[in-house]
Amino acid sequence: MALLQVENLVKKFPVRGGILNRIQGYVHAVSGVSFEIPEGQTLGVVGESGCGKSTLGKTVIRLYEPTDGRIVLKGKDITALGPAEMMPFRRKMQIIFQDPYSSLNPRLTINGHIKEAVRFHNIVPPGSATDDYIDEVLQKVGLRPEAKNKYPHEFSGGQRQRIGIARALCVKPDFVVADEPVSALDVSIQAQVLNLLSDLKEQFGLTMMFISHDLKVVEHFCDRILVMYLGHVVEELEADDLDQQAQHPYTKALLGANPIDDPDDRRPLVVLQGDVPSPYNPPKGCPFVTRCPVATERCRQEMPRLETKSAGHRVACFEVE
Amino acid sequence: MIVKLIKSRGMRRFSRNRLAMFSLAVIIVYFLTAIAVMLGAVSRDDTKERVGPNRLPGFLEPIGAEKRYDFDKWWVSELTNVFERAARENARAGGDPRAVLDEFALAERTIADGSYEDLKPAFDAMTEAWHELDDVFAEQLDLDDEAFAIRDEIKELQAEGEDVADLQAELEEVEALLAELAPRAEALYQQVEANIEKLLPMPSGFAGLVYSLRTMLGTDSKGASIAAQAVYSIKIAFQVGFVTALVAVLIGTISGAAAAYFGGWVDHAVLWVVSTLSSIPYLVLLAVFVYAFQAPALAEWFNNPERPALALVPLYAAFGLTFWIGTCRVVRGEVLKIKELEYVQAATALGFGRFYILLRHIIPNTAHLMFINFSLLFIGAIKSEVILTFLGLGVKGQPSWGIMISHGADGVTNFFFWEVGAATVFMFVLVLAFNIVSDALQDAFDPKHV
Repeated sequence: MALLQVENLVKKFPVRGGILNRIQGYVHAVSGVSFEIPEGQTLGVVGESGCGKSTLGKTVIRLYEPTDGRIVLKGKDITALGPAEMMPFRRKMQIIFQDPYSSLNPRLTINGHIKEAVRFHNIVPPGSATDDYIDEVLQKVGLRPEAKNKYPHEFSGGQRQRIGIARALCVKPDFVVADEPVSALDVSIQAQVLNLLSDLKEQFGLTMMFISHDLKVVEHFCDRILVMYLGHVVEELEADDLDQQAQHPYTKALLGANPIDDPDDRRPLVVLQGDVPSPYNPPKGCPFVTRCPVATERCRQEMPRLETKSAGHRVACFEVE
Repeated sequence: MIVKLIKSRGMRRFSRNRLAMFSLAVIIVYFLTAIAVMLGAVSRDDTKERVGPNRLPGFLEPIGAEKRYDFDKWWVSELTNVFERAARENARAGGDPRAVLDEFALAERTIADGSYEDLKPAFDAMTEAWHELDDVFAEQLDLDDEAFAIRDEIKELQAEGEDVADLQAELEEVEALLAELAPRAEALYQQVEANIEKLLPMPSGFAGLVYSLRTMLGTDSKGASIAAQAVYSIKIAFQVGFVTALVAVLIGTISGAAAAYFGGWVDHAVLWVVSTLSSIPYLVLLAVFVYAFQAPALAEWFNNPERPALALVPLYAAFGLTFWIGTCRVVRGEVLKIKELEYVQAATALGFGRFYILLRHIIPNTAHLMFINFSLLFIGAIKSEVILTFLGLGVKGQPSWGIMISHGADGVTNFFFWEVGAATVFMFVLVLAFNIVSDALQDAFDPKHV
C-alpha cells in the first residue's frame, strides 16, 4: 500500500480587494492533483516557477490548508485533522526548504534548532542523553558536532542546508518533502547535498517528494516524476522513461531546454513562446494551450484528463496517442 | 543573546560612530547621576531646603544695587531674628543661647563657632551698619526720585522752549550728592556683608564645595536650590522614561506580534484600538488619562503624599497606554514579514504550538525594533513628562524640569534665567544625546544597511 495518497487536491488562495476587502477571486495554485507514493520511493515534481509545485508540497504536509481533496498518510485521512489530532502526523512528515538563509532562525543556535524538535517529540527516550543524539544527527548530515553552538549566520549556504536537513530528519520522519533543496546552492555544493540526501534516504528508508525545476536532478534522484503546469499535473511517468517516453508537449519542451552533454546528439528543439498564464485567471481549456505548439480548437474548449497510456505512465493531452 | 548583540556587526558599526559613542557616554553620566539620586545623593528634602534668600542669582546672573540691598536685608533680618531669640534665651536664667544659634542653618551654612557673647559684637556691628545703610539707601532712593523728577521737568520745559539753566544746576547738585553717597553706601554694604560673613561663614572643605554647588545656579522663589532640583529631576525623568518605554515597548510588541501572527479578529481588534487611539490628539489623550487618575477613589491612592512612590503611576499609565501604538505598528509589519519566512513554516511543520512559535521564533527576531523603539520612546516620554508637568498635569510634589520651567518662566525677563535654563539645558543635552544614539542604533542595526 502506498505510504501517501493524494486525491484530487485543490489549493486556492483568495484574493481580496476593494473597500470592503471582499474576496475578488482566487489564485488557483493547485488544481485537482492526484498521486500516490509507495513506501521508500521518491516522487519528483517538476515544473517552471509559479506552477504550484511548492504549494503542492506544503499543502500535502498541511502547512497550507487544502481547499479540497484528500490526503491519506499510512491509511489515515489527515485532510481535516485539527492541530491536536495532527500532532502525531507532524512528526511523520517533514520538509526541507529551498532557501538556506530564511529557513533557520537567526536567533537560535544549531543546537537550539534541533534540541527543541527532539524534545518536543520525545525522540530520545527519557534517561538517555539528548546531546549525544544531536551529535549523531549532525554527524549524519556531515557537520562537526562542535559547531552546534554556533548561530546560523556563521555557516555557509551548503552547511545551512545540511542543518535544515538535520532539523527535518532528527524527528525520524517517514515522509519528507524536499522543496527545491539544492536550487539555491552552487553547483559543486548541489552535488554534495544531493549525494547526502540519497545516502540519508537509504539509511532512514525515507519516502520523499522531491520538488525541483531541474529535470536532470529529478531524473537522477527520483523513482517517478510528476510534471506540473499551472497547478495541473500534465504528465506522470517513471524517471527511467523520461528521456524516451515523454509525450506531453510541455514535458518535451522541458527536455528540449535541457542542455545535452553530447554534441552529436541532436534533437528537435521546442522553444516555448510567451509566459505562463496567470493562475488568477487560468485558460478555459487545457492550461498549456496558450503556449502549446500542437494546440487545436478542442484544446481551447475542453480540459484534457490524465489518461493512462501505458503502465505507470499518464498524460493529459488530446494530441498524444 | 546579549553577548551576541555586543559581538554583532551592528554593534561594531555603532561603536565606530564617535559622536554616538560620546552621546552614549553622556547618557551614562546621566544614568549614573539618576542612580546616585536614587541612592540618596540628592534627597527630596534637599530640593526643598532653603539654602539662601529667594531668587538668589546664580552663575552669570547680574546683581543690581536694589537686589543687593534686598538680599542683605534678608540676611540681616534672618540673623536679627535668630539673635533676638538668642538674646531672650540669654536673659533667661540658665538659658542656652548657643542652642538657639545652632538651630539656624541654611543647608551646610551654619552660624560661626563661638559663644553668644563672642558673636554679639559682630551682630551689633552688622545691625548698626545696616541701620546706617538703611538710611543711606532711603536717601539714595529719595535723591534718585528727585533726579528723575527734575529730568522729567527739564524735558517738559525744553519742549516748551523755556530756560532750564536753574533746573540743570539743581540736577547737578542732586547728582553730586548721589555720587557722594555711593562710596559711603559701598563701604556700608561691605561692612554689613563682612559681618554677615563673620556670623554665617561660608562652610569650608567638602561642605563648602557642596554648598557652592547648591547655590551655583541660584535659588528659586522659595529659596531652594535650583541645581539640586535640576539634578533630582534627572531621576524623575529616567523613572518616567524607563518605566514608560518598557511598558509601551512590551505592550506594543506583544499586541503587534499577536495581531500579525494570529490575524483574523485579533488583528482587527488590535488595529481598531490602534487607529482609534492614534486619531485622538495625543496630548489630549494623555491629559484624559491623567485626569482619570484624579478621580477621588484613585487619587486617594496615587496623590497621597504618604506614598510618594505611587505618585508617578498616573504618568506611567498615561504614557504606557498611549505610546505603544507606534511600536505596535512597526512590529506588526515586521511580524507579517517574519511569519512567512521558512523557519516559521519549519516550526509549524514540526508541530510546535502557535504561542511557542510566536514567543520563541518570532518575537526574538523583532529585538532590534524593540531596542530602537525603546530609545525613541524613552526621550518621547521625558519630553511629554516635561510638557504635561509644565501644564500642571504631570509630576506633582516632586521636582521636575516641567515644574522648574513653569515656575521660572516669569523670572527669565528679569535676567533670572537659571530656573528655566537649568531645566532646559539638562533636558536638551539628554534628549539630544538619546536622539543621536538612537539614530546611530537605527543605522547600525537596520538590516538593509548590513
